[in-house]
Parts: sequence; C-alpha cells; structure tokens
Amino acid sequence: MAITYEAVKALSADLYVWSLKKIPEDTKAALAEAEAAESNPSARETLTMMRRSAELAETTDSYVCSDSGVPVYVVKLGTAARLDGDIKQAIVDGFEHLVATIEPPILAHVTNPLTLERGHAGKDMPLITWDLIGGADYLDMTCAPKALGSGRWAALEIFSFPGLDVIERYVMDCVMKAGSQHCPPVVIGVGIGGSFDHCAKLAKLATLRPIGEPNPEPVLADMEARLRKAVNATGFGPMGTGGDTTALAVHVDYAAGHGFTPVAVCFNCWINRRTRARLYDDGRVERIE
Amino acid sequence: MSAHHRLELPLSEADVRGLAVGDLVTLDGEIVLTAGLPTHERIREHMEQGRALPIDLKGAAFFHLGSMSRDAAGGFEVLYMNPTTSTRFNPFMPDFIRRFGLRAVGGKGGLDDACAKAMAEMGCVYLSFLGGGAQLHTGAIREVVEVAWNDLVAHYRLVKLRVEGLGPLTVAIDAHGNNAYEQLKQTAAERMPGILAELDRERGGA
Repeated sequence: MAITYEAVKALSADLYVWSLKKIPEDTKAALAEAEAAESNPSARETLTMMRRSAELAETTDSYVCSDSGVPVYVVKLGTAARLDGDIKQAIVDGFEHLVATIEPPILAHVTNPLTLERGHAGKDMPLITWDLIGGADYLDMTCAPKALGSGRWAALEIFSFPGLDVIERYVMDCVMKAGSQHCPPVVIGVGIGGSFDHCAKLAKLATLRPIGEPNPEPVLADMEARLRKAVNATGFGPMGTGGDTTALAVHVDYAAGHGFTPVAVCFNCWINRRTRARLYDDGRVERIE
Repeated sequence: MSAHHRLELPLSEADVRGLAVGDLVTLDGEIVLTAGLPTHERIREHMEQGRALPIDLKGAAFFHLGSMSRDAAGGFEVLYMNPTTSTRFNPFMPDFIRRFGLRAVGGKGGLDDACAKAMAEMGCVYLSFLGGGAQLHTGAIREVVEVAWNDLVAHYRLVKLRVEGLGPLTVAIDAHGNNAYEQLKQTAAERMPGILAELDRERGGA
C-alpha cells in the first residue's frame, strides 16, 4: 500500500471545501469566550453575529465568507511514507477539480500580479509549503486559504541584534497599521529569526497553531500572553466596533539565525480558515480539524 | 446609547442626517454593489466622458460587496454576497459621493477622512457589514434587479438587488464628519505609549 495520487487529489479538494464552510472548533470556543468577556455592547453584538454566521454556514453547508481566497497548503511528508504517483501534481489537479465541481462556484481570486487578471489558476498555484516529518508513515496536510482582507496586512522587517522590546514594538506597529481592516478578532502569527524566507514561514505556521496552545518555550509563552494583552488594549475591537477583543491569540515562534534578525507578522481573520488531515499508507484519512 | 433604525431605500437626506456613529441600521429596498477596482475605474471613465452608467447611482446605496452571480434561466441569479475592504477605493469615493449624491456607502474597513468630508457635505453614511457574514447577508436578497458589466469576473460586476431586512449594519462614518475608524486609530495611538510601557514592565518582571 502507498499514498496515491488519487488520495492526495481527493484530500486536497476536501480540505479546501471544509475550510470554506466550517470554522475550527478552537476558534468557535475562543469567540464564545470573547463574547462572554466583552464589555462593549456593539463589540459583543458583533461577536454574537460572527458566531451566528459561522453556525449558519456550517448547518446549511454554505460559505462563511464570499472570499474563498487563494489555495494555500502546508504539506508535511513522513519520511517512512510510501508514495505512488505525482503527489505535487495531485494538489494542483485537486484544486482544479474543486473549482470545476464546487457548488455554488467560488469566485475567481487567483490574480496574475503582472496583469491583475483574475481566474482560478496561475503560476505556482496552489501555494504549497513542503516539509518532512522524520519517521512518520503518513502525509499531514493543512489547507488554509488566504484572502485579501487579512493577507494584505502581513509585514516583515529585518533588524540587527534587536532586543525583545524592539521586536514587540514592531509587532505593535504592524497591529496599528492593520487597524480593524483585517476582520478582527484575529490570530496573529509572529516569526523571529532564521532568514528572510524562513522567518515568514514561521509566522505563517504560527497562525495555524491551535488557539490555547502556548509556545513551549517560556520566554515566548510569556511574550505571547503579553502581546495579546497589548493588542487587545488598543481597542480596535471586532470589525472595528471598539471593545476588548482585537486578537483571539498571538502565536510566536523563532529560529536561530545570524545577527540580522527578521521579524515577520501576519494575521488570520476571525474565521481563521484552517483544516487539516493525515493520509496513511493504507488510504485511511484521519481528519484532525 | 446607539439606536437601531429600520430604513426604506432610497434614503432621504433627513434619514441619513438622523444617523450617528454606532447606530445600527437594517435596510429594505434596492442596493447597488461591486467589489471591483476595474469597476470603479469604469465608473470614473463614464463620469469623465459624461456617459450614463448601466445602473443609475443617483441617490443610491452603493456598497463594496463581492457577490457570485451567474446566468440562469430567466436572468442572472446571485448565489451569495459578503463585504470587501473599502479602503482600497478611497481615491474614487469622494468624487462618486459628490457626483451621484450617494446616500449610503459601505462594506468593511471604512473610508478615509477625504471621503468622510464628502459624506458630510452631501449627506451620506458609511455602513459597516460583518466580514465573514455571507449567509446573514445573502439571506436578505429578495430579487436580482440587474447585473451589468458581466464581461467582468462575477465580483467585479455592477449588481442591483432588492433586499429585505439587510442588517444590522453599523453606522461607522456618519453624515456629520464622525469617522469611527479614524477615532479608533486615534484612541489606539493615544494609548500606545501606555501599552508599550506595560509591555516593558511585564517583560522586565518576567
């Protein structure tokens, strides 16, 4: 038995569909918690509407948001997994199949940045981050479609031997720039260190970490708690209604690097689109979220 | 205390002047929507050349909403709609608001102070829609009145719908020059020195 082209193709499409119709369980819980704690009536009303919107989409099998984003996948391949077929092409074909068959159709968001023409396909689409998991006999795939609303506000800057104070100030600068345009309450991902590209990847992956799981490194767990409080003290609030809830979570990760230290910051909007499953050698699919 | 208004479209200047930032609004009647930058460019071209638009915007409620429309038996159908970020249309909106006498604009993310100035002059409000509220908003559609410029991708088309009970929407910029988005930014900027001091204090104590 092996992980086949067909299985990867089918899973790529399924993960995308699920992500459009259902928000993750941890996000539902975080929104409910925020609603209960929110002191501003307009903000609370907005959180109530968000929860109702998510529930309505899930129970009527329809989309939470009209912006289905561009297809973004994170694929981690177990080094002990056996493959049968071109799994890279399978993801391209899976998305193409989805576009052709999904009902109602998804809007054409894939944009050629040179001509601004829009369609459902384009160079390097879907955007895939590849990684390996030592010893595992499965393929772990996350789908997190990215749309303009929150995608627009990600930023990266490179510092030279910055202190934690400099890093945290930069995060707050990015938070100020985004204001309430990224459909808050958001999940904020912060990457520190590595190289330019690695740092951006750390931030991106940090947004995909389940809410309520702090970084295991105490220094970063403290930073996450501190920054979340700081972001929520800005008072932008859900959809810019003011109030206490601008971030559901701040997730920070780091990598060793040189003395030049990139800091990357990115955002997931309140629907926090993310689905994940594992595909095993025997064709079994284990849906994780 | 904010009020909740149920308003019939088209809105009168008195309707609009009676709204304040933070009020909630639920709408009945006809709205026009698009999510397209090329659409805004086309509208501007028509204005400059003195040509009529395929859907008249005079006194309209004109919203930055993306919608999925497709040709079906008996005309276009609109399958779902949801707001998009308005700020990228900032450069177009003051002229549109003045030229067409728009009574309501909206979407999500707000507009800048140049737009707010035009809105105060003319009597127009910005209504904030819940992002990620596709099912809530789509449920208010009663009729697809017209779909124009269908050479464009679906969400760029100019679409006129009849809605019933669209909302609640939040008045985020009123017709008296109050802009909730600018106020929030200002509040956050004023709080920032204290926020940074608290970060430093907590880090030092850790």
